[in-house]
Amino acid sequence: MSSEVHALAPAEFLEQVHSFEFWFQSVEGYLADTEFGHRPGTPDLELPPDRRERLITVLCNYCIGETAALEGASGLIGFAPNRQTKIFLATQVVDEARHLEVLLHRLSELGVADPESEIQRRALRTLPVFRRRLLELVASKDWEAAIFAQNVVLEAMEFAAFQTHARNADPVTREVLEGIVKDERRHMGFGENDLGRRLTANPHVRARLAQVKRELDPLVLESFEEMLDVLHIPRSERPELGRNYLATIERLGFAP
Amino acid sequence: MNDTVLREAAVEEGARARQRFILEDTGFDEVPKKYRRFYRRLSGPEDSLAPNEVICPVCKVVIRSTRELREGDRVYCMPCMSRLVVVRSDAGHLEARVVY
Repeated sequence: MSSEVHALAPAEFLEQVHSFEFWFQSVEGYLADTEFGHRPGTPDLELPPDRRERLITVLCNYCIGETAALEGASGLIGFAPNRQTKIFLATQVVDEARHLEVLLHRLSELGVADPESEIQRRALRTLPVFRRRLLELVASKDWEAAIFAQNVVLEAMEFAAFQTHARNADPVTREVLEGIVKDERRHMGFGENDLGRRLTANPHVRARLAQVKRELDPLVLESFEEMLDVLHIPRSERPELGRNYLATIERLGFAP
Repeated sequence: MNDTVLREAAVEEGARARQRFILEDTGFDEVPKKYRRFYRRLSGPEDSLAPNEVICPVCKVVIRSTRELREGDRVYCMPCMSRLVVVRSDAGHLEARVVY
């Protein structure tokens, strides 16, 4: 097999990147020396009480997002259009479960004794609504709508929000988020490319997805704005939050 | 990031020869080892692209080739699984566009 990546045939490329073998060798590069998503020697700074409280609230809401992603991705496997896609989604399920685990562990490092009740108590308004709608789309087995909601809308927003947060985070939280962002690249790319191929072959699907987009856009944008407000991240430092998502949907042929 | 220029390729029919590059490992760790040299992270606003590099529009990783890139070349972004074609932007720069 060639190691000149750009010389691969398209089918060979897709077969490789959708495989567990690719996943194993990829995550080994950035997770091998970590424990619960960060290097053991990374200093865990004591945060001022107010900053710690805000971080806990945001991590609780990330847990809601990652739980939605875990439930959504695992549900998608049941009606994925082919075996290669089912295998890729299985790797995504593992990623989402790892994200949830490292976030829960970070909460315990911050002194949260009962994460389950804390997550319920600190849930912001819109993210649970998005989660409910995503799971309805998965339950309806509408592949295009569900993959759009899960791997385009949710993943693109998480990718941008976690990157923004990581730049402003304490060292341990930063490493945890950076590791998650590396996984999100695969999920986001899979969603855009799978949907792009489908829309090219079936342009009439676009109108239906535009309706789903109109419904989900405000929910997700508001969710992440709420979280960045909690983190006190200035608006001037948030430009890519919406830009990344808008660029994705523009490439897919949707009006912003 | 400027990789070592290996040699000028043989003159292509009707075109200037393409430069060839030996790709160094830049510490990019998100793909299997044998493919890591084909990618790197942008290092900030001062970072400039070499003739063998384009940015993935999907995930913003820098994609690298062993040869100078030209319009019409096909490249892959393995970290986000995208297939791309190199085009010339309105501003005259080479950039990558997704091919679904």
